[in-house]
Amino acid sequence: MTGRLSLLIRLGVRNVRRQRRRSFLTALAMGLGVAVLVFSRALGDGAHEDWIQAGVRLGTGHVAFQHPRFQASGKLEDRLSSEAVQTALTALELPEVREYVAAAASRVELQALANSATAAVPVAVAGIDPEAERHFSQLGDKLIDGRYLESGDRLHAYIGERLAKRLDLDVGSRLVLTGQDATGEIAGQFVRVVGIFRSGLPEADERVVHIPLETARTWLQVGDAVTTLGVLLESGWDVPEVVGRLRVQLVDDQDAVRVLGWREAMPELDAAIKIDDYGDYIFHVILFALVALAIVNTVLMSVMHRTREFGVLRALGLTKHQTAWIVFSEGLILTAVSGLVGMVVGFAFTWIFFRNGLDYSFAFEGDFEFSGVILDTIIIPEFRIMQVLQSLGSIFLVGVFASLYPAYRATRIDVAEAMKFEA
Amino acid sequence: MPGGPWWRIGWRNLGRNRRRSLIAASMLAVGYFSCVALMGWADGLVAEMIGNGTGILTGQLQIHASDYLPDRSVYETIGGRDGTNVRQLVEQVAADPDVDAAAPRVYGGGLISSGSATAAAMFLGVDPDLELHVSRIMNALVSGEHPAAGANEVLVGTEIARTLGVSPGDEVVVVAPAIDGSLGNDLFVVSGVFESGLAELDRSFALLPIDALQALMVLPPSRVHEIAAFVRDPWQAPAAAARLDSLIRARGLDVAAESWTTIRPEMVEYAQLTQSFQWVLLLIVFGMAIFGVANTMLMATFERRYEFAVLKALGTTPSGIVGSVLSEALALGAIGLVGGAAVTFPIMVWWHLAPPDMSWLFGDFTMLGALIRPVLRVEYPWTMTVGAAVALFLTTVLAALYPALRSARIPPADTLAGR
Amino acid sequence: MGFVLSVSLRLIAGRSFVAWVMLTVMSLPFLPTRLHAQRTASEIVDEVDRLLRGRSSRATVQMDILTEHWTRSMGMRIWSLGTEYSLIRILSPRKDAGMATLKSGEEIWNYLPRVDRTIKLPASLMGAAWMGSHFTNDDLVKESRIIEDYDIEIGYEGRREGVEVWEFILTPKPDAAVVWGRIEEQVRQDDLMPVWVRYYDDRGDLARTMVFSEFQVMGGRLVPAHMVVEPADKPGESTTIIYRDLEFDIDLEPSYFSLRRLRDDRGSE
Repeated sequence: MTGRLSLLIRLGVRNVRRQRRRSFLTALAMGLGVAVLVFSRALGDGAHEDWIQAGVRLGTGHVAFQHPRFQASGKLEDRLSSEAVQTALTALELPEVREYVAAAASRVELQALANSATAAVPVAVAGIDPEAERHFSQLGDKLIDGRYLESGDRLHAYIGERLAKRLDLDVGSRLVLTGQDATGEIAGQFVRVVGIFRSGLPEADERVVHIPLETARTWLQVGDAVTTLGVLLESGWDVPEVVGRLRVQLVDDQDAVRVLGWREAMPELDAAIKIDDYGDYIFHVILFALVALAIVNTVLMSVMHRTREFGVLRALGLTKHQTAWIVFSEGLILTAVSGLVGMVVGFAFTWIFFRNGLDYSFAFEGDFEFSGVILDTIIIPEFRIMQVLQSLGSIFLVGVFASLYPAYRATRIDVAEAMKFEA
Repeated sequence: MPGGPWWRIGWRNLGRNRRRSLIAASMLAVGYFSCVALMGWADGLVAEMIGNGTGILTGQLQIHASDYLPDRSVYETIGGRDGTNVRQLVEQVAADPDVDAAAPRVYGGGLISSGSATAAAMFLGVDPDLELHVSRIMNALVSGEHPAAGANEVLVGTEIARTLGVSPGDEVVVVAPAIDGSLGNDLFVVSGVFESGLAELDRSFALLPIDALQALMVLPPSRVHEIAAFVRDPWQAPAAAARLDSLIRARGLDVAAESWTTIRPEMVEYAQLTQSFQWVLLLIVFGMAIFGVANTMLMATFERRYEFAVLKALGTTPSGIVGSVLSEALALGAIGLVGGAAVTFPIMVWWHLAPPDMSWLFGDFTMLGALIRPVLRVEYPWTMTVGAAVALFLTTVLAALYPALRSARIPPADTLAGR
Repeated sequence: MGFVLSVSLRLIAGRSFVAWVMLTVMSLPFLPTRLHAQRTASEIVDEVDRLLRGRSSRATVQMDILTEHWTRSMGMRIWSLGTEYSLIRILSPRKDAGMATLKSGEEIWNYLPRVDRTIKLPASLMGAAWMGSHFTNDDLVKESRIIEDYDIEIGYEGRREGVEVWEFILTPKPDAAVVWGRIEEQVRQDDLMPVWVRYYDDRGDLARTMVFSEFQVMGGRLVPAHMVVEPADKPGESTTIIYRDLEFDIDLEPSYFSLRRLRDDRGSE
């Protein structure tokens, strides 16, 4: 049986080679389709990764540790005790988790009032660790005046441009933050503006204030506690894995620590990414449909063209089944070759021209906001093994299905009638 | 028919191998459908975004006193301290050909309290009957009903309701500073709770009948902050705004009429980005189709090389041969287009009038501050409909060019001799 | 959101802190009125600042507010005990008469007679200005002493318009939680009455001015019965406070400051 099969396949191969021009053209069409597919997937994945990165950096990271009630209440009383923080940090040190972690940052977060000589405005204060935050939210990168916080800073604040305007503050101005501390008392804290940022997100520019973590802790009398321990992973694709492992590790500490993935913490961003995926799927389906049609076209035509030949073969004893196999393998080979070529071309094209990113900023003035995140107008393509495998798999499937009909038609050739055909 | 017999020959040649022609035509049809459908979906997304961004609350067109924005001072009413004839002004705005409906609004800030829970709120005084036709927020009720004109009733956002722990029928205290410096306060009944899906609205807005809010704030009925209008085709709003601006100013009122394009310019940018996407789409889709058609035509002409040889031997000019092949290609294109259109148009109409709801797959989300519901809504992409048809024909002609030229150069004698 | 809060806070939440406004802004001297030359600047300012601390008081006050858009005159009665407790009841105008604010510990309640309801104000709604006046939140929440937050030196000592005065310059201490960049205060040497106080922002620009006058004996002490606050950025606007009567060290217990009394002050003095 195998011997027969390989014979059939060899026949298939030879048939493909015999019709070089036709095969070439088909391969070209398919190759183009596959190349486009690869290109759009790489860019699409890259864009999503960007969006997720941008979103989680300003939020709680890919993965976050919090008090179980904090997500709902947002109150200082629902904070992680220093023991809970230790537990979480230990969990992060696990070898099977650590390899995925890019950065971690502790924060003490509070809704407070910012007072200046001019006005008082409600703000979201975050006590942060400047070193960790540099890699995390990178809010320091949006600096427009002054500097970001540094370790050793104590009475310094980093505020948004709009807040600075409302309170009539410059770099160096004094600011008093008032809020309810851990004992329930209203406590004031003096800080000086050390830097001003513009993120492009009006909400952030009006409400976000960064102060040193220790300063926040002293002001609010929370000791070594934090409200959120945020974690950034090397890649957003690892989130489910990491969250799963952490939850297993921390199953006994569920009352004290809760592990959240960004999809839970930021459902808006989640939905937005999904809808974009949706658009991509549709586009890919269309591409595949076209590719499939191209295959059917070629293979079928070649079969019809060789009606007489198949007739002769059948007369010589080739079974229907075997005829079908020959045709089927022709289709598959065509698919395989053009698919591979297409993928290589696609990857090469994307890599050569766009590995530093596709810049579409010409299309926008100013910033583009999507679900509460400012997006960089440069998409850096992402190449993943999974992506490659998926693409290969889909192409293979398309090839299989597209070859089915011609193979079927080949079996329906009436031997006697076929003889009447011209070669 | 110009072209003589070539057209009919070309047409008939298609029928000689129906299956092949059909497959090639389907490639074209699929290509057509996908271009039009994708573009329609993208346009639908933009329309949805604009519709939601402007339709839930802001309206497509707004008229204020010229100093009202950006600070939104409660003292800057239309017509200044003397106000204006509000009803007349609303009618005048609604009389504009592109405006479907207009409504007056009063804005104020204050507190709502129930028991020991208090929430800061942004108050919007509306005319319940007129407002229904201008914005959708009144229709976003999750419980209860609209506040009745003249009554002390309030419609609150779902987050406010949660903070205060109230539901329809409960009593609340509404406190709003008045324009004479006093503190307006009164008892209200929660008439209903709305959920717009936009966190800022649900968290901080409360709607009251306009006269109730005016009474609270010690504003006479002639003083309002805004006239909002519903313009059915959002893209007509800028022109309407310009018209109304000059019309109302001519009446002596110092106002500024603006459309959503100036209030939310980022939406315009996004719409433009989507438009540019269609060229890319056309290129990709028909770029692929061209090979398929070329393949088909090559095969077709190769099969018929004897025939062409005979024709040439009989005296047909090369251009005649080219003509016949090209007409065949055009006929193929025509069938592809007809087929494509036959499939596309009904589906587009279906998805436009009754868009399938995809929310079982996805939840809602926001983009540029507008709520998007995941329905497969499409707008008719006229440019693309025509553009894709043109691209389709171009594809067929270009694909057939090489086979046509080759066929025209077949050496009759050699071919007939089998060489 | 900011808009909502700035509007509402300006006009509502601060009202509970009028007592503190009175307490901290009213720098009242202690009898005897003779000056001891050996006192340092700090001691003087501290006395001027500290006089009403730890004491109880009851006052009838008129507040006139002048803004760009409206003018109002309110009459009110204020009871206070230390910095923790206060009760303010508005007597006039008619529309607001009966409104009352109670501060007890960290909780603030408002009573609205028109609807006969009490509302509670959460700490987060403390605002920038009280009842549209020009007093700020910063004036009110200060429970610490002025000398704890500021370094004091004498800027000028001598005659101004025929009166012997000191002009003190107060500069915030490094960690002090205060919004002013500098405060300047003129105090009369013979009776320790404040004449004016100028508040400067961080850049050195004048932010607001308070002027004291009508010095008279009330409740057994010499006090400025008339006080005007003017913001520097809004010329023409001002808030004026006039003490109609004032008593100190009355018999008041924390239990006096209850919700029941907030609603119903029959039987209150």
